[in-house]
Amino acid sequence: MRRWFVVLWMLPLLAAGCGDRSLILTVDVLSFLDPADVSQAYGPIPGGLSGVTVDVASEEVSLLQGIEDVTQVSSAKLAIGASFDNTTGTASASFRIYITPAESADVFSTVPIADVPVSLTPGAVTNVSTEVSSDALAQALVQDKAKIGVRITFDTTASGVTPVQGTETITLLRATVITKKDL
Amino acid sequence: MIRIGWLVLAAAIAGLLPGVADAQLLNARRLGMGGVATSDNGAARSANIAFRAVPKGEGYGSIPLPLGLIQFAGDTPEFDPDDPDFNIFEILDLVSNPPLTLSLSKPREVSGDISIFVGRDSLLVDLNDVRRTIPKESMVNGGVYHLFGAGFGIKNFFVQAQPIVHVRNEFDLDPKLRGALRDAEPFVSNTRYGLTDDGVAQAALAFQVGLAFRAYYAPAPGSEDVSQGEEKGDGDGDPPDPRAKDPRRNGSTALYLGAAPKYLFGMAYGQVGGDGGVTTGDTLFGSSDPVAFDMVAVTRYAAVGEAGGMGHGYGADLGAVLFWNNFELGIGVNDAASEIHWDTTVRRHVYSDSLNEFVSTVQAVDEAFTSRIPATTTINVAKRMGPTTVAMDVVDNELYTGVHLGAETWLGMVALRAGAYSDSNGRWQVAGGTGIRFGGIGLDLAVASNRRNVEEASATELSASLTLY
Repeated sequence: MRRWFVVLWMLPLLAAGCGDRSLILTVDVLSFLDPADVSQAYGPIPGGLSGVTVDVASEEVSLLQGIEDVTQVSSAKLAIGASFDNTTGTASASFRIYITPAESADVFSTVPIADVPVSLTPGAVTNVSTEVSSDALAQALVQDKAKIGVRITFDTTASGVTPVQGTETITLLRATVITKKDL
Repeated sequence: MIRIGWLVLAAAIAGLLPGVADAQLLNARRLGMGGVATSDNGAARSANIAFRAVPKGEGYGSIPLPLGLIQFAGDTPEFDPDDPDFNIFEILDLVSNPPLTLSLSKPREVSGDISIFVGRDSLLVDLNDVRRTIPKESMVNGGVYHLFGAGFGIKNFFVQAQPIVHVRNEFDLDPKLRGALRDAEPFVSNTRYGLTDDGVAQAALAFQVGLAFRAYYAPAPGSEDVSQGEEKGDGDGDPPDPRAKDPRRNGSTALYLGAAPKYLFGMAYGQVGGDGGVTTGDTLFGSSDPVAFDMVAVTRYAAVGEAGGMGHGYGADLGAVLFWNNFELGIGVNDAASEIHWDTTVRRHVYSDSLNEFVSTVQAVDEAFTSRIPATTTINVAKRMGPTTVAMDVVDNELYTGVHLGAETWLGMVALRAGAYSDSNGRWQVAGGTGIRFGGIGLDLAVASNRRNVEEASATELSASLTLY
């Protein structure tokens, strides 16, 4: 029955999007994150370490059901924006976004959708923004449920004895999936 | 949240259907006169049964010329859903506008991408062009269709068997759902988005015995009664003037009556009344699915070979038309007091959100129920003044009351026509046309506007037909 509803949900959209026309699904991924996770402090992380991970967010969310059943993904991209207000220390960091279907056991065990390098210097605000294309992203967002994870990995070996600390703020996580009908 | 989908579907289906069906008129002479019904322009048997008894007047038969087929052959829509050019709205428009008339102008094709924006507490569906097909108000579709029957007549009597189909469906969206789909307003939390549907369909076979006759006749002052018997020439070798027997034009006073009771053999009846909706929770898309779905539908049915079996009923077509001083006043009522008695089964269907399925319970078996085939009343007036005819009619049926206005004048062999009518949605459409007559046959062309398309937008068509005089 549920699947029946799902197909019904999509039919009019597909009817309109038939032929060369598309169904454009935009997901504000950022809105699914707990506000407390969107902006949070990191550190102090002692200097001289590599591979220090901070799991910023991990959520399971409900999405529109059934899109996968009746559409074929043409393309998908994820726009990413983040700001790092680093107060002390020097580090290179990897800002990683994970988005997987809900059946994935551990979102962080999958290949990240995006891996954005960030250079952190004392007393500086570093803004990063990028856009990545990903088939895996598309496959996750057309499911009825998905898992979202955000992780930052720090390498503080360049910081000496000075601990690295600051505040990261995710400013943009917006996915756009373009699909065609598949009935 | 996902289950808002069925609402979207139903809304779209309603949108796809044009409003109350305005039939495509293939008689170019009548279409050029705004579709007005008179006793001599092809409306004879559909509008007023008494027209059967009136002597044939100007133009008693029409043969449509399906010019649209040529256009259709040259511009056939794509039927393959996998083809990039496939457009479901184009196909639906084809259903409501069979390619029998030439399309001169039509609405812009419904196209464009569909956009859905999803956030934790956001859902916005922009149907783009499809928004044009979402009804502004409740949608009522249907009608009473008298299909081709078989029969014969002897003098004033006739006998016929004719299938009748009655369909009516009313579909409505609540303002919030309409706003979300038609105006792309965002879905919001803790809100119910609902729709209702009320539909009935029944089919019967009508066995009808009818009588149409002249009840009164008085010749015009100063003339003799030439309305009966063989036509006679004036003695100088000229053929008889057929208009001398035509009460529309000879100034006589004549009253024609018609009545045709019918036995209705009910073949199938089905009725559904449903109310459904989804109510959003505190959050549209959270870690769980907080949407509550509700739907209740009550169905009633009976059919030959199924529970309840056949139905039985009676009805009648009635008509009268008066001619006086070249005025015509007609009143025709089709399916008067037409009812069918059924033994019906009633079921109630409730959607269980917890079980995610419908639970049906039988409310009644063989419950006596009387359905009605709604009457259609046509009142027409016309005045003939030499070569000119001015006419008007009012048609009232279950779904709407429409008005047709039309005029025709002959300039020798050439006719000029103009008219207007209010369509099933109350919007005025205009028509005009011309015709040329060669003895007993004529060629007629008409151009008329209409809104028979899923967008209910203005379109123009050219109709052509041959008229037998």
